[in-house]
This record gives sequence, structure tokens and C-alpha cells, in this order.
Amino acid sequence: MAKLTIPAEELMYPGHAACPGCAPALTMRLLLKALGPRTVVSIPACCWTVIATSYPTTALGVAVLDNPIEATGASVSGLRAAADALGLKDVNVVGFAGDGGTADIGLQALSGMLERRTNAIFVMYDNEGYMNTGVQRSGATPLGAWTTTTPVGGSSGGKPEPKKDIMGIVLAHHPIYAATLNPSFPEDFVRKAEKARSLAGPRFLHALTPCPPGWKYSSEETIRLGRLATDSGIFPLFEVENGIYRITRKGGALKPVDEYLRAQGRFRHLGDDDVRRIQEDVRFRWERLLRLEAESANLVNPGSLRFPGPWIGERAGITGTLEADG
Amino acid sequence: MEIRFHGRGGQGAVIASELLAQAAFLDGREPQSFPFFGVERRGAPVTAYARINDRPIQVRTSIERPDVVVVLDPGLLNTIPVTEGLKEGGLLLVNTRRAPEELPAPPSIRRATVDASRIALSHGLGTPAMPIVNTATLGALAGATGIVTLGAIREAIDLYVPSHPAENVRASEEGFRSVRVAESTAAPLAVSAGRSPALLVLPEGPIATTPSYGIHTAAWRSLTPVVHLERCTRCNFCWKFCPDNAIDFDAHGYPVIRLEYCKGCGICAEECPPRTIEMVAEG
Amino acid sequence: MSRIVISGNYAQSYAALLAKVQVISAYPITPQTSIVEKLADFVASGELPAQYVQVESEHSALQVCISAAALGARTYTATSSQGLLLMHELLHWASGMRAPIVMGVVNRAVAPPWSLGADHTDTMAQRDTGWIQFYAESNQEVLDTVLEAYRLAEDPAVRLPAMITEDAFYLSHTVEPVDVPASEVVDRFLPPRDARAVLHPGTVARLGSFTGPDHYVEFRREVARAMEHVPETFETVEAEYERATGRSHGGPMPTYRADDADAVLVTMGTATTTARGVVDELRSEGKKVGLAKLRLFRPFPTPAVRDLAATVDRLGVMDRSYTFGAAGAAATEVAAALYGASHRPTVSSFFSGIGGRDVTPSEVRRMFAALLAGEPSEIRWIDLEEQEAKADG
Repeated sequence: MAKLTIPAEELMYPGHAACPGCAPALTMRLLLKALGPRTVVSIPACCWTVIATSYPTTALGVAVLDNPIEATGASVSGLRAAADALGLKDVNVVGFAGDGGTADIGLQALSGMLERRTNAIFVMYDNEGYMNTGVQRSGATPLGAWTTTTPVGGSSGGKPEPKKDIMGIVLAHHPIYAATLNPSFPEDFVRKAEKARSLAGPRFLHALTPCPPGWKYSSEETIRLGRLATDSGIFPLFEVENGIYRITRKGGALKPVDEYLRAQGRFRHLGDDDVRRIQEDVRFRWERLLRLEAESANLVNPGSLRFPGPWIGERAGITGTLEADG
Repeated sequence: MEIRFHGRGGQGAVIASELLAQAAFLDGREPQSFPFFGVERRGAPVTAYARINDRPIQVRTSIERPDVVVVLDPGLLNTIPVTEGLKEGGLLLVNTRRAPEELPAPPSIRRATVDASRIALSHGLGTPAMPIVNTATLGALAGATGIVTLGAIREAIDLYVPSHPAENVRASEEGFRSVRVAESTAAPLAVSAGRSPALLVLPEGPIATTPSYGIHTAAWRSLTPVVHLERCTRCNFCWKFCPDNAIDFDAHGYPVIRLEYCKGCGICAEECPPRTIEMVAEG
Repeated sequence: MSRIVISGNYAQSYAALLAKVQVISAYPITPQTSIVEKLADFVASGELPAQYVQVESEHSALQVCISAAALGARTYTATSSQGLLLMHELLHWASGMRAPIVMGVVNRAVAPPWSLGADHTDTMAQRDTGWIQFYAESNQEVLDTVLEAYRLAEDPAVRLPAMITEDAFYLSHTVEPVDVPASEVVDRFLPPRDARAVLHPGTVARLGSFTGPDHYVEFRREVARAMEHVPETFETVEAEYERATGRSHGGPMPTYRADDADAVLVTMGTATTTARGVVDELRSEGKKVGLAKLRLFRPFPTPAVRDLAATVDRLGVMDRSYTFGAAGAAATEVAAALYGASHRPTVSSFFSGIGGRDVTPSEVRRMFAALLAGEPSEIRWIDLEEQEAKADG
């Protein structure tokens, strides 16, 4: 048998209530493989509230705390403060929220958690809409996508606004580590999650998680679609550690976005002009990312252009944040 | 008249119940329809209720003693106590290829069947993995019971079904014509207990501690993965990508699919480099 | 023990210090700020080895406490008015999670228009959230009740959050002598929180969970049952506190000269002090009046109210809050408590001291006068009546 390329340990139990082909379920499975059993996960209202099954069962082999949809950032700060106050060692504190609970209603608490430099990992699993409530638009829904609240027909042609750049928002807080994850690339996913685990300070992971009923495709396509999202540049895989960008998957020329878009019912109505516009946007953002990578590596001596952390509070250990490596 | 629908998320059981109510209203009667508001997940068992009367309906509860039970997916017969509470002389209508006489049901229950999956697909409704069977089944319900007229169903579809109304009308007509009813009784079906009894002792807070692997999700599945081991290279891609954690290895490193959990998403078959996994339709 | 002159806000801070809270989280709002500033000083100086989590909203402050309490930490937060209203959703979470958080609330009027004055509308709007509610009359009572509240909230039979409220400015910024018990005395009275019924990292457990109709009501019933355990538990706690410090504040509803009274006024918070003085004056004028102080509002002390009602014919209830379209919150609850009683006095509902308006002796006299005259029960805005009377000169 081929050597396993990701940890064998399973901390997400079968019997859970995710839809067939659910990428958020696979994301949780891969994440817990990387983080291990001494993890406390705070979960707001989202698909995973339901996926984790109802009382008295739980689909997660770790300690889980439910919290309201807007409060995950605060919840992880509370968990970390308690762990520090009670002397609990080697605990991974994790917030695991959907795109709404992260980038829309959860944004204030996330900003607070990053700014106060809580020593925790915040994971946004991004299925690009309010899927748990039946596919409504969120700030993370991409341009042109059909949802039940951005219908197609009459004066509407899907979502008229572009997707919110959550990584940009997060990076403006100078986290110690931020990375994009794609469960279609499990080795890259697990490596980044393990790296996040090894660091102290605020860490953010953005996972793209295709949703068969919400994106309107057949469940077996989940992995292929995720792969296409990255290989067409729609969802580049990169990480930012202490301000240094690194693209973790560069497969030569980008694939055209057409194949990715056409595979999904939510984009079926888009015309050639729409697709061209999306293609231009993707190319722009990809090239900007390449420049950010080059600049952050070469503008000055590698390693010298760094955020000047750890901050005063981190040195003094007052905020409940472990020392960041500087 | 009280009707209970059992289906799986995505099949349209809730819409069937609503359409039935709309059709009954068009017939000049007083209807009521509502879903059991649990957590609807594609493939997961779903229940919906409908009441039809000549006077305004004065009750708002789930239906415990239905006159008719409609089952949109034959796989549910093995996993859900569909006939629980069904009145003596009541009707069990199932979407299946089988003849009504072959249906397991308690004595004194009338049985009816319709091959709504075939009808739906022949009119281009849904996919083989998930045919949209609600309108064909509704036609069959009208044919087997007469509780609504076919004309009212047609009109309700025209008014309230935005997608493929013409095909849905034809599917309901074919369901109406092809439903088969058996009056005799068959071997009793083992009826298990319904909802879980309320716990008498709870912890002081809402703390769930029972691992979910006691829950079997096989009933969610329409297509079943079959591994052709002779071509398997033991690359473990199937395991790596399974969102249900439903794949194990045997002592030699070959994949073993835990069918009690597999929801039949097909990712393993799709991602298998040598294509050793085949998705096979059940029953 | 030391006797020092401090504000009601500092009484909160000293109580949290003595309780050795482990996690503090708060967001500033007038007139609460000096509570959390003082706590920040205690933490900075090393006097209080707690984690102080700076947050971007009251909403997050309470979530920090809920999550910290879930892992077993003793937590404290404080807020007021708009901040408490923003917390509303999380108040339900705290009680449902059985998180024994103690929170100081400075009762302040709700906008619009903006006002900083004392007013109980903020906490009255939270009376159905599953929190134990104490209303304090003095700075001493603030400090003592916060310490009692930790014992009560963490008691295995209760395990519910508690708020200890104090009137804006009349306590929050009023300095007066307070006995601060010695740390060893408090340590004996209030041991560290026990680690049962909390989430332990490394175990399989989901706190919060998800239910259908098949379990939900059972969990709600557990919260209600916990509330039912509060009165007897509090009696024990207060008796022990008295043994430890020599002080008691008289249980859930202490009364004053009510035994033979023709009319009794029910008050909450600082208005009680003024009203007590008026009772003495009226008594000296030969009028048989008395007083009852609603100290514990949740759970509502129905037996104490019925005991009081057994000997009196006219009750007035002074709410320092208002209810649009109904009688005052406290008045309604008093009346409801009496409905099944064998002897039912009349109950009058007085709104007084709204938005920081002084509850003057004259206003209190006006309320007693109405009761003694046997005027029919109706909802009366005493502040406005008083204003008109002054205008008429």
C-alpha cells in the first residue's frame, strides 16, 4: 500500500449529517488530522452546527463549543484566556466558521480577535453563501453567482457585486500566519494546518469548500471543482507568514475560468462577456499576488522586512497570547 | 383525510405535499400542508404532512395517524417505520418498480405502487441518482385515492412549478394512469419504535458526548460504490477524499467501503486514478 | 477587614478582586467604566492574576466570558444600558450553557434620547433571559452581593449566571464607607470553582449541541429547575456570608416597618433609602406605612411577597423603569404573585425616577398619600405629577 501522505488519525466520525459530497465535511476531517485531539473547536451557527449531528451525539472526537453566528472571534479569545488562566497546556484553540460567520456577521469579532492577537486558529470554510439556510447570498458569494436571493431572470443576473476579499481584510491585521486551504489538495492543506498549529499568535485559514446543492453540481465533482478553482487562479493557494507571501501551488499557465464556471449550475446563465469579465478579474488578482510574493521576498533582504512583532503585550504575556516568533 | 409523505432531501417531498394542498384548494376543499421542520439535507430522510377536509382544519400538529402514507423512495422502507400509525384500511403508496403485492405492510393496509423514478427520468426530471419524483407520485396518489382530481394537479403544477411545468404535468398524468393498487394483505412489516423516547435524565448543560458513528447514513444513498480490487493500486486516494470518513483499509491495504455510512456521493469513484470504483444503482 | 470610602463601581471591582476571578472581559460604557478601569489596575499591578481580554464590543465581552466559563474559569464582566441590550442574545446563551458568570450592571436609561441617568429599563428588559438578578441599595450591598452571587451561581444545584445591578451615579459614582472583607475570609467562603460540568480539552464532548423538539424542552426545564433552587441556596449562602463577615442584607425581599402597616411601598435599588426615611417621617406623623425592598428580582420572590400581602391591604410598587402598554414590570410581577393568595391587597403601579430623575421624599410621600387615600389602582407617572405640582406652585 502506498504510504499515507496525510495523518491516519480520524477525529471526525462517520454518521455525521453533511450532504453527500460535502467539502466542509472533508475540510473538518483534514483539519483535525493536522491538529490532533487536544483541540477545542468553537463553532457558530453554520452548516457544521447541523453536520455535527443532534443531541446526544457528536461527530467530532474533540471538545466542541457552540456559539452564536457573530461571536466566533470572541469565543476563541475566551477559550484561550481560560486555557491560560487554568494552565491548560498544548491546547489548540480553533474557531471554525462559515463565510457568513467569518466575513459578514462575524467580521467584527474576527477583527477583534486578530487585533488583540489571540493565540488561536480561525478557519473560514467558504462555501460562498448561506448554504445552511438554503443558499442565500453572502459577502463571499462570487460575482454573477445565482443564489435564492440573487435570482436569475427579470432585472437580475445573479450576484452583481464581487466577492469580499477576506484574506486582504485579515492581512491588514498582520496575523502571524494566514493561508488559503483547498481540500482538493490534502497534502498542501495538512501542511499548512500543521504549520498553523506550530505557531503562536493569531492565525487564519481560508478554505474553499464546494457545495453540491448550493453551487448546483453533482456530488462526485467536489474535488475536481476545487482543483479547477485553484488551477484557474480563482482560488490561489498561498500563505503569508509574518508578512512574507508564498504561493504554494503554481502549475504553469492558469487554466481558463470557463471550465470551472460551466461546471456549476449557479453560473449557467453567464454569457461570454460575463465570463470574460470574470477572467480579467482573476488574471488581475493572480498577477497582483505574484507581485506581492516577489516584492515580499526580494524588495529587501529576505527576512528583514518583517512585522516588528512580538508586540509589547505579547512579550509581557498580559493578553493571554503566547509569544509570536519574530 | 390525513396524508404523510416520506422522502429524501432533494426529491421534492415537501413540494409534493404543498402541491397536493394547492390542488385540493383548486378542487374547492380546505387543505393544510407543512413539513416536519428538521434539518433538510440532500439525501437525508424528510417528512411532510397534508390534511384535506371539507371544512376549515382546526388542528396544527404533526400527523401521527395518517389515512395515507406516500413514500417517494423505496430505500426508506428498510430504514424508516413508514407505516407507523397508518390507520387500518389506510393506503401505503410507494414509488418502486415492484408490484403492490410485493410491498411489506401490516395486514389490513392497502398497498399501491408507481414507478415514479422511471416516469420522472423519461420526462427529463432530475438525474438517475436523484430523480425528481414528486409530480409523478402525486398523479399516482390522485389515481389511487381520488382525494384530488387530476385536473387540479395539472392546474397546480402550472401555477406553482416554475421549472419544467409541461414535463411535470405529463409525469403526473402518467403516474395517475400507471398506479397499481392491491387490496389484499401481505406479510407484516416489522415496525420499529418511532421517535426516540425523551431522556429522563439530562446533564446539567446541553453536553453531547456520544460519538456519531452509531448513526448509519446508508439510507441517504442512491448509488453504491463497488470496488474492483483487481485493478486497485492501493493509492488511497479514495480514503483521502472521502468526506464521510466511510473508507477503511483491510489488512493488505485495500480499501473497504463502510456501506453503513457511505452516502454515495461518488467522489471515490471520480478521484480513483485507475477507475477501479464503480457507482451502481441500488434496488 | 478594612473600611474604606469607595464608589459602587469600585465595590464591584473589589468584589471581583476578592473573588479571584480568572478571566475578565469588558467594553467601556458610561457609567460602568471605572469598574473595569480599576480591574485593569489590579491586573496590571499583579494584585489580581487574571486574564483581562480587551474586546471590541459588549457582545464579545460576554462571549469571552461564556467561552472561558465553558472551560471552567471564574469570569467577570460589567456593562450598562445599551451595552446590556447589545448582549441580549448572549444572555440567553450564558444561562442555556449553564455558565456561572457574574456581571455588574450599572442601571442607566436607554436611548433615544441619549441619557446617562439611573433607570432600570435596561435590566428589566432582560428579566426572561435566565439570569439571576439582584438590585443593590448601597455600595456595601454591591460588594457583598457580588461575592454571594459567585457562590450562588456556581452552586451545583444552580449553575446559572447572575447580574448585580446598581443605580447609575446614585451608587456608581457615589462614594461611601464600605467594609471590605479580608482575602482569607472570602477564600474560606468562596472556594475555587470546581471542574465538574465543564468542557475538558482532549475529551469528546459538544457543549451547546443541537436538538429537535424531542430534547429541547427538557433542557429548558433544567434551567427553570435551577432557578427554582435559587431561593433555598441563597438562604444558605447568605447565612454563611453572615457567619464569615457579620453582614446580611436580609434575603430576597427585606421589609421595613411593614408588619402593622396600612400601606406598603415596594421599591428597588437606591430609591429604597429615601423611601425608608419617608416611612420614618410618616410614622412619626402617625401614618402606618411600611416598605419592602425587592432585592432579588429573578427568580421572583413570590413567597416573600405573599407573606407581606397577608397583613397589608394596599401595596404600591415603584418601578424605576416603564413598560409601554402595561403596568410596571415589578408591579405586574407583584400582582401576579398575589393572584392565588388568600388575602389580596390592591396593587398600584408607580413609575418614578425615570432617566435619572430624583426620587425625592416628596415623590415618595405622593405615592404613600395615594395608597393611604385608597385611590383606585392605575398606572401613574409620578415624576410628571411632581413636575406639574411644582409648576402649579
